[in-house]
Amino acid sequence: MNLDLYQLAHQAFFGGVAAAGFGVLFNIGLRSLPWYAASGALALGVRTFAQSAGWSFEIASFTAAAAVGCSMVFLPERVSRVRNALAVAGCIPMVPGSAAAKAILGFFALTTQPAADSTALLLVSFENLLRVMFTIGAIATGLAIPTLLRPRAKT
Amino acid sequence: MPTANDNLLDNAANLALEIGRLLMESGARGRAVEDQVIKIARGLGADRVDVRLGYASLAITVGLGHEALTLMRKVGPHGVNQRLDIALRGLATRIENRELAAPAAKAELARLEKETPRHPLWIVVVAVGLACMAFGRLLGVDWLGTGPVFLAACFAQWLRREFAAHHINPFIGAALVAFSGSLLAGAGARGLASATVDTAMIAAVLLLVPGVPALNAQSDIIEGRPTLGSARAVGVAMVLLFSTAGVWLARACLGAGQ
Repeated sequence: MNLDLYQLAHQAFFGGVAAAGFGVLFNIGLRSLPWYAASGALALGVRTFAQSAGWSFEIASFTAAAAVGCSMVFLPERVSRVRNALAVAGCIPMVPGSAAAKAILGFFALTTQPAADSTALLLVSFENLLRVMFTIGAIATGLAIPTLLRPRAKT
Repeated sequence: MPTANDNLLDNAANLALEIGRLLMESGARGRAVEDQVIKIARGLGADRVDVRLGYASLAITVGLGHEALTLMRKVGPHGVNQRLDIALRGLATRIENRELAAPAAKAELARLEKETPRHPLWIVVVAVGLACMAFGRLLGVDWLGTGPVFLAACFAQWLRREFAAHHINPFIGAALVAFSGSLLAGAGARGLASATVDTAMIAAVLLLVPGVPALNAQSDIIEGRPTLGSARAVGVAMVLLFSTAGVWLARACLGAGQ
């Protein structure tokens, strides 16, 4: 394992800021804001830790989302009603929007490249696209684990 | 002449659909909407409830004894409003526990829809600016680039709110917001001699990434609602495509990423 504590703290801090900022955009109450920041910090902290242990980006994202989803069980009663919203907001900083933009930009650029030069660009664009698909799938599956494990009343 | 059961079913179906619609428009995932709609209809007296969730409409069939009623309701633009979402779930629980009859529940719903508070625009603008700046740091934007990312994201969020208020098509709006935000961030970062201009141009418009719908799409598919999940995924893909077109145009204007 190659753990850089400065990097871990940096990622966790800015993950918390991003989750809190998006929490405001999603119209959460300001009193819940520290919980949103903590959720984002936990998500980015776990993902960075897992990556430093050599795990792939996608598996690290899955682990972080599952950690955030499962940690909601331990919330105090007064914030438990925002449990789902909190878990989702915490994982928002892990949604690979930048990779999505890079993938689409790469596909746009393909139309202006000579065919001979396009193979490397195509591969990089596909790599980014696959990263987006697998990471979103990993986050949503990780988040859904606590819900899926809970028995559902028959309607 | 309508019977007592007709009135009961009418109230149950209408209230359940109205709260379901608001939950969909507030960013709830399919399973949560379905659970709340069923709770409400049962709480108001229906003994059979079937729900169909679509991206643009909801349908419900409620039954009592030998009578049944089917209604459908249109769903408006999907957004995220967590305070309304939480308040609606609380209302659904009160209806389920028979604390509110149909008239009181309707009055409470109208009150929640009208009075659930929203943050002032300036708070949202600053919060989104900080969030995008944080995204920038997570993506490796250097310190010189963070200021332009913050300011550009603030402007982009203000512009997005203006477009929404004027009912501009959301995809065209996304492209225009992405173009403006990305251009501003790129010009600012370049002016300050940042070494990460390209990344700054993307970070400033990450506010447009529909993260909640993207996660909801996947959750809906995992939880057995592939039609709703697929529709959400198509919406997400379209927003990403138009947003990236805006960034692409801004890069062309600045000659960046060449």
